[in-house]
Amino acid sequence: MEKEKWIQQVLNSTNGMTAVTPNDDILIKIKQKINQQPTVQTGIVWLVAASVTILVTANFILINQYKQNINPKEIYIESIVNNNNQLY
Amino acid sequence: MPQQNVIFENIYHEYKSMVFNLALHYLQNIEDAEEVTQDVFVKVYHSLQHFNQKSSYKTWIYRITINNCLDFIKKKNSIKRLYIFGKKSENEKDYFNATTFEHPGIQLENQENAEILFGVINTLTENQKTVFLLSKLDGLSNIEIAEIMELSIAAVESLIFRAKVSLQEKLSQKFSTYRKNKK
Repeated sequence: MEKEKWIQQVLNSTNGMTAVTPNDDILIKIKQKINQQPTVQTGIVWLVAASVTILVTANFILINQYKQNINPKEIYIESIVNNNNQLY
Repeated sequence: MPQQNVIFENIYHEYKSMVFNLALHYLQNIEDAEEVTQDVFVKVYHSLQHFNQKSSYKTWIYRITINNCLDFIKKKNSIKRLYIFGKKSENEKDYFNATTFEHPGIQLENQENAEILFGVINTLTENQKTVFLLSKLDGLSNIEIAEIMELSIAAVESLIFRAKVSLQEKLSQKFSTYRKNKK
């Protein structure tokens, strides 16, 4: 009984609580932070996006070219040589 | 731009107390609550022109405040872990375990009990803590909380119920310590 009463007292201890007013100088600090923060220009964002796209496309093209340039005859000969030269 | 500044200042004066008090309940430290309040309004200023009016300013600012408080706690905990090489905790109790909190808005005769309550609130999971603070301390309805947290009303009711059960269990365990101290 005493335990239940205490638990309820603790749970209700915030009843009648009043809101705390923040310091008046917060708005000044906020304005300072707003003016300090450099904003990224839209042009720079587009430049970065274009660079990444070019890089990915170039890689894709190069990988495709490399795959096409491998001669199937070479692969066949290589596999025969590997099979016939087994040491065990 | 001057128009945006006027809107921003109106928003600031309307919601500064709401943001500061929620941050204070979350972080339980006046300096940290002030820092988060500043960060919230800087974010509000920069996002104002992209605000799509799908929700009210109140709901939107509540969301930003909650996210900023959670990020602040995670950042503080990670800095602390970096120094002590400790392992990651499941909730934010690392940040809080060093200090006790005396809320300046609580009546003097309730200070001791409120200190115990805030200590126990910090052991709840993130979502349980958020719904409890919004419901009990900010006095929001379940519908408002559901909108802020983007959950169903049933989910909010369930979280509030589980938070209360958990608090009662933890306070029940603390009762014996309280009795010993009183004797």
